[in-house]
Amino acid sequence: MNTNLWLIRREFWENRAIWILPAVFGGMLIVAALFGHVNLPTLESPNENRTFGAAFLVAFGLMFYSVMSVYATWYLLDSLYADRKDRSILFWKSLPISDTDTVMSKLFVALIVIPVVSFLAADVTALLAAFIVSIRSRAAVGGALWQPDLWLQMQVLWVYAVVTTAIWYLPVAGWLMLVSAWAKRAVILWSFLPPLVLYIIERWFLGTNVVGRELGRRLTGLPMVALSPSGSKSWHIDGASNTLTLPSSVFHFINPSGFFSNPETWVGAAVGVLLIVGAIQLRMRRSEI
Amino acid sequence: MAPLIEARDLTKKFGAQVALDRANLKVEAGRIVGLIGPNGAGKTTALRAILGLTSYEGQLTVLGREPLRERTSLMRDACFIADVAVLPAWLRVDQAIEFVAGVHPRFRRDRAVEFLAKAQILGTRRMRELSKGMKTQVHLALTMAIDAKLFVLDEPTLGLDILARRTFYDALVNDYMDETRTILITTHQVEEVENLLTDLIFIDKGRIVLDTSIEEVANRFVAVDVAADRLEAGRAAKPFYERQILGKSELYFENADRKTLATLGALHTPSVADLFVAKLSGGAA
Repeated sequence: MNTNLWLIRREFWENRAIWILPAVFGGMLIVAALFGHVNLPTLESPNENRTFGAAFLVAFGLMFYSVMSVYATWYLLDSLYADRKDRSILFWKSLPISDTDTVMSKLFVALIVIPVVSFLAADVTALLAAFIVSIRSRAAVGGALWQPDLWLQMQVLWVYAVVTTAIWYLPVAGWLMLVSAWAKRAVILWSFLPPLVLYIIERWFLGTNVVGRELGRRLTGLPMVALSPSGSKSWHIDGASNTLTLPSSVFHFINPSGFFSNPETWVGAAVGVLLIVGAIQLRMRRSEI
Repeated sequence: MAPLIEARDLTKKFGAQVALDRANLKVEAGRIVGLIGPNGAGKTTALRAILGLTSYEGQLTVLGREPLRERTSLMRDACFIADVAVLPAWLRVDQAIEFVAGVHPRFRRDRAVEFLAKAQILGTRRMRELSKGMKTQVHLALTMAIDAKLFVLDEPTLGLDILARRTFYDALVNDYMDETRTILITTHQVEEVENLLTDLIFIDKGRIVLDTSIEEVANRFVAVDVAADRLEAGRAAKPFYERQILGKSELYFENADRKTLATLGALHTPSVADLFVAKLSGGAA
């Protein structure tokens, strides 16, 4: 087993929440499915049937994705700070492991391992919940939940979500790691204070809002860049009648060519790489607090 | 043979404060070197530089490498315990062994396991459940199982009780030291390491004030007990330090003529602790 695998294993030892958190969250959803009030729609057309099945799975993915995002943010902020605070960095640095390997292992855990574990938990939970709901409700609903091709398509969607999230949020992750490697205390404060100050200064003195717009775009813009535009022929949300029509295939839903050809994707990634290089440099020069 | 550690004009500043001020030092292979200085003298900074944990100015070579840039490869041949009890609270003893065995090519697992069995520490314990003394034992087990050429210890027994300290140094000398290894140890408690050392480096205010072997100390330094009536004659011989104890004076000389001094009173070689105090209070002689 090579050093990088050991480093990832180490992260699992230290951060048991990587799997405990999705497991507990999944458990709560299962309990809700078991004892909660089930009020399911009557599914009449095959299209409704299909939409319901897909929405069911997407809902699970989204719930786990939200929990995962919060946890991954916290994990990154803590990643290069915790061992400086408890001084155990002096132990880790006494081993022949480069600072680059250390930083990269933590980045990899945050952007790939945590999301993958999370989506696996989402699948398992959805499977159990589908089982419970099928038993508790009418046959039509049960049937809608068991469409093997939908399940497979969702796996494609999860992989796509992991990849695009990792690339899109690279600058955010890089910034969090930089703060984590630099701050002597109050990492959470340092993570948002500098951007906030920049934003205020710009509004105040220049009257423009480039920082705020770019930050907002980065934090919330992923669905717009990575998914097909809503209202296109493949899917749409109708606010008036409160209905959602989903495409027959997940491939109409995602927009990989749009995502990968968007300059925003790659400018952001480049900024992320610079921030990570900065975090590595800080890691080399800073030991305990 | 090239020295294991060689520093020339090693300087480190923290803002306006100078932690290391053009320090020069050399450590040869097979020695047990004590880097001794008062708190804030620059000991820890010097070690951090040697171990590649901090940036510095000047020239520094450790095992033929430039520490900051080549820390990863340096740590294959060197190991260190920087202070006690820095093992993370969440780590289990068996995980620690597994991890080091996994990433360190020169780690001998059987040796670590044997050491821990002797210390009666279970593998399933987490560091947070262990006493400071036990944690030190674990750290020592991990570090001593590495076949390293250089072993650096920074205040290794800080915060340990006398029993744990004794165990620590006994293990170091009996189980670890041999002629292929070099140990560099910092402490401000000189008495504790006095009998262990083969070489001394005194550091004060970021400068090296003495770099010598223990054998040489006996040739170079002498202390004379001078009765009150001979004190003027003693002072005329230019001691670099003078100390009053129980009505008589103890004068310290460096590279002085022993025959002349013998007429003043009884000669003896100062202990490392006394020499340390003399050297640091008397200034550079």
